[in-house]
Amino acid sequence: MGGEGMFPLIYSPRVEWTIADLYFILTPYLTFLGWLFLFAVLMAAVLLFTMVFFIIMFSDLECDYINPIDLCNKLNQFVLPEMIAHAFLTLCFLLSGQWLAFLLNAPLVGYNVNKIMAKNHMYDATEIFRTLSGHKKESFIKLGFYLVSFFYYLYRMILALISESD
Amino acid sequence: MSQEIHLPQGWEARWDGQSNAYIYVEQSTGRSQWEVPTQPSYGSSPAPQQSAPSSRPGRRQYPTAQIQQVYGGGGYDAQPQQQPITAPGYPDQGGAQQQPQYFTPGFGGQDAQQPSYGQQPQQPAYGGQQAPAYGQQGGYGGAQQQPVDQMNNQFQQMNMGYQGQGQAPNHGGPQLHSIQTVNLIGMQPDVSGLDAPPPPSLLPPNASVTASPHIQPDPSYQRCTLTSMPTTQSLLNKSKLPLALVMAPYRSFRESDGDDPVPVIEDSVIARCRRCRAYINPFVTFIEGGNRWKCCMCGLSNEVPQLFDWNQVENKQADRWARKELNHSVVEFIAPTEYMVRPPQPPVYAFVIDVSQQAVQSGMVAVAARTILESLDNIPNADKRTKIAIIAVSTSLHFFSLPVGATEASMLVVSDLTDVFLPKPVDLLVNLTESRPAIESLLGKLSDMFQDSHTVGNALGSALQAAHQLIGKIGGKIIALTATLPTLGEGVLKARDDPKLLGTSKESSLLNAASSFYKTFAIECSKQQVAVDMFLFSTSYTDVATLSCLPRYTAGQTYLYPGFNASRSEDAIKFATEFSKVLAMPIGLEAVIRVRASRGIRMSAFHGNFFIRSTDLLALPVVPTDQNYVIELQLEDDIKGSFVVLQTAILHTTCYGERRIRVITQAMPTTDSISELYGSADQVAIATYLTNKAVERSMSHSLDDARNTITNKLGDMLSVYKNQVTSSAGASAQLAVPDNLKLLPLLCCALVKHVGLREGASIPPDLRAYAQCLLTTLPCQSLIPYIHPRFYSLHNMPPEAGNPGDDGIIALPPALNLTSERLERHGLFLIEDGQNIFIWVGHEAVPRLIQDVFDLNSYGELQGGKTTLPLLDNPFSQRVNNIIAKTRELRRGVYRPHVYVVKSDAEPALRSWALSLLVEDRMDHMSSYAQYLTTVKSKVSLYV
Repeated sequence: MGGEGMFPLIYSPRVEWTIADLYFILTPYLTFLGWLFLFAVLMAAVLLFTMVFFIIMFSDLECDYINPIDLCNKLNQFVLPEMIAHAFLTLCFLLSGQWLAFLLNAPLVGYNVNKIMAKNHMYDATEIFRTLSGHKKESFIKLGFYLVSFFYYLYRMILALISESD
Repeated sequence: MSQEIHLPQGWEARWDGQSNAYIYVEQSTGRSQWEVPTQPSYGSSPAPQQSAPSSRPGRRQYPTAQIQQVYGGGGYDAQPQQQPITAPGYPDQGGAQQQPQYFTPGFGGQDAQQPSYGQQPQQPAYGGQQAPAYGQQGGYGGAQQQPVDQMNNQFQQMNMGYQGQGQAPNHGGPQLHSIQTVNLIGMQPDVSGLDAPPPPSLLPPNASVTASPHIQPDPSYQRCTLTSMPTTQSLLNKSKLPLALVMAPYRSFRESDGDDPVPVIEDSVIARCRRCRAYINPFVTFIEGGNRWKCCMCGLSNEVPQLFDWNQVENKQADRWARKELNHSVVEFIAPTEYMVRPPQPPVYAFVIDVSQQAVQSGMVAVAARTILESLDNIPNADKRTKIAIIAVSTSLHFFSLPVGATEASMLVVSDLTDVFLPKPVDLLVNLTESRPAIESLLGKLSDMFQDSHTVGNALGSALQAAHQLIGKIGGKIIALTATLPTLGEGVLKARDDPKLLGTSKESSLLNAASSFYKTFAIECSKQQVAVDMFLFSTSYTDVATLSCLPRYTAGQTYLYPGFNASRSEDAIKFATEFSKVLAMPIGLEAVIRVRASRGIRMSAFHGNFFIRSTDLLALPVVPTDQNYVIELQLEDDIKGSFVVLQTAILHTTCYGERRIRVITQAMPTTDSISELYGSADQVAIATYLTNKAVERSMSHSLDDARNTITNKLGDMLSVYKNQVTSSAGASAQLAVPDNLKLLPLLCCALVKHVGLREGASIPPDLRAYAQCLLTTLPCQSLIPYIHPRFYSLHNMPPEAGNPGDDGIIALPPALNLTSERLERHGLFLIEDGQNIFIWVGHEAVPRLIQDVFDLNSYGELQGGKTTLPLLDNPFSQRVNNIIAKTRELRRGVYRPHVYVVKSDAEPALRSWALSLLVEDRMDHMSSYAQYLTTVKSKVSLYV
């Protein structure tokens, strides 16, 4: 929006905002750190919603609104993306030297890797009812974890903003 | 004939449907007689005035009113009269002064029962309406009012009579089990107690609307680990007793065992609760004059269906109290179309036969083809709709086109294994009756066809997919016979039996599936109502653990024939017998099982071969007979009532094209005392439950963990018993157990030493996995001997043993304790666990004995191993053969045990196998029964 002048802005108002627009708006205010934590906040929100989705699906199963086969087919699509997203975020923290944030996330990455190695990361329709309570517990704990990290990232982002404006 | 009846005040005439005559009942005393009371006075006045009809409870009022409506006008020969009675010739007037009696005429001769009626009030009761077997008749509610407690007493006595416990004391409180504590340390267990029935379920009086002896299911259908239900979960937790249902709802029906056929309700009047969908059963209550019934589970009042009291065949009013669903715990309803997703499907069988070189050489293909051929008439095919398909598989898939009218089959080979397709849309799955000539000709030469094949490799997974495509539209059963590991196409398996893993904590990984294909495929099958039976013939590792996944989740069964070689006649006979029984099995198709229970009870876990489709719905594409399921129960809320009802319903299509619902209703009294819980514990059911839990544990954790689970649970139970029930806390030299659980420690000891769970590095993973399959599917009747084998001494058996008794049944010798102390050097012994029979020959056996049994001159000539005993012309040989024959047919199920001759001083492998069944002995580093008890005792003292 830099050198376009006033005229085009008045006569063709921008209704669609793209990431690029956001970038240009925010660039003056955010440092790299700010960007990192903004990204982390968004990721945490996405992961948060994934967990809520998981928990809703599990309750649906308990109430017999969905059968175990469909449930597992649906959830299994999200298992690996969720883990990868989380691992990527952790990697970002590691590369940017955010040790506290990295240490916060490392145990969960380790847990996920361990699950993949043991090949029991996918939901198994034949076992789902026996392991349902465990899955629910795990999802709730992850939900709590993502919630905590969401606020932590938000706090760090704001901190970064403030330090910049100073 | 419609003469109106006038009976004097205090008399009542009742119609007795069974003898087609009136009974005359004196209302004040409850006594009844056939004769018209005194001088008849015909046709003078209208129907009898009942003394106090209005004060009777509603549900009792109803039948009489109805009966009078139907029969009241007379039209029958007998003409009731009224008259005060003076002294009819009935004995037993003892209690009549205070508590009037009620006799039903048909009952007069039953002395044993009579006393219990002696104290009864004049309550005519539905007790009078028992099944004909009881020989009791008549007696719809009399017009008398009576105190409820008297009524209770009567029912109590009835229940007691049914349970064979004689007469109950006449008090109002609930019945309790009498607990006897026994000490186990230093005692030899009494193994004959293993066949004892579970403790009786002491239902409160008037729990059921009829007093039929069949209101509780036979333990072979369904039993519960506790025959009293705790009122709260905390009580259950505190008692440490497991709460689970153990059931084999599709139990086979054997007339030789005295089984009654399951009563079938043919008029398709199915009364169900609107809210909880429970089926009407003997434990409901009728209210509002019998127009409504109150559900015994959720308490909702439901309308009685209009046709409930109507005999649709003869088009007349029927007797409600004679309805089978009110008199029997196990009934089958014929389901109307609302219960069908589609018209009843025909039974469909797809055979997938491995024809690789190894399979052909072992003779499996030849025996299988011949057995199928011979069983074609026995395959359920009553309405001539049964369909059959045969796929032979090696490195490619061989389909057989069997068109109607053809006498020869033509073979179609598909070698594309990755994307399986059917080479022909029709004629691959054919009607058994229509294409019989082609099928017969194919089976006749199937083995020869592949005789010269040298193909090594087995595309089992692809063949299963093809079979699934073939029958998926209809559903049915895939019977896979394979002698090699699947090495091609889908679901390839590797020989992963690394001997280094055995005996370590990693061993449990060998008990889990190696490939997810067999699980996902099983789910596909279950969706399409296809079940898979696996027949595995291994000479080497076949990965039973993985392949048995298919039967596990599709409600099939796994059969293993280790080292199968058809040139040994024993192997061929065993396989052919079992296979033909499987083929002839009357299966149920497209089934679902659901257990409903009184409010507050929840099904929390399920064990067995099925797919759990929702929280409480078990899907079984095919229900095989005699398969066991264990369902764990939890209490969500406190239970209020005096008894609870558990109802198992299994909706299925019979192989004769009928949609049916088999309903099994069980009622249990509630209790809030721990000692009562212990008094009502059923050791056989608990052992079955522990077996299933342990096997589950061995897969999810480790074998070590599984064994510890068993011992710890036993220790928990006994310590609670010691501290809470016998109140003798502190250390003691005794191990106190309730009398009804006295064999549980023995069963637990046997279980931790069972081949499916035993410690040790010498058990091949295949055998272990197969043993675990059996442990989780055998019904109690076969499971208990499988855990704790039977041991007989043959050389000194009593004279009646081995000979047919008066009833024509071969008597078995008394069972011995499973300890090698009982083995004598000159003796002949038999050990059997339902899967194998071992004939143990002592090395000092007299030549005469060897001569008589084996037709050999001396012990030295005797060969150990798999054998068939010759039937010789001497009484001893005949008796031994009789005992073996009896053992083979003793239990339900298809299994035909092998006979092994074990010489006491040769063949160490066989010898130690046989000795490993003697579970009371010390074996390697596994403790003996006495040591096991000490371990348990130390755990018990630990918990103080």
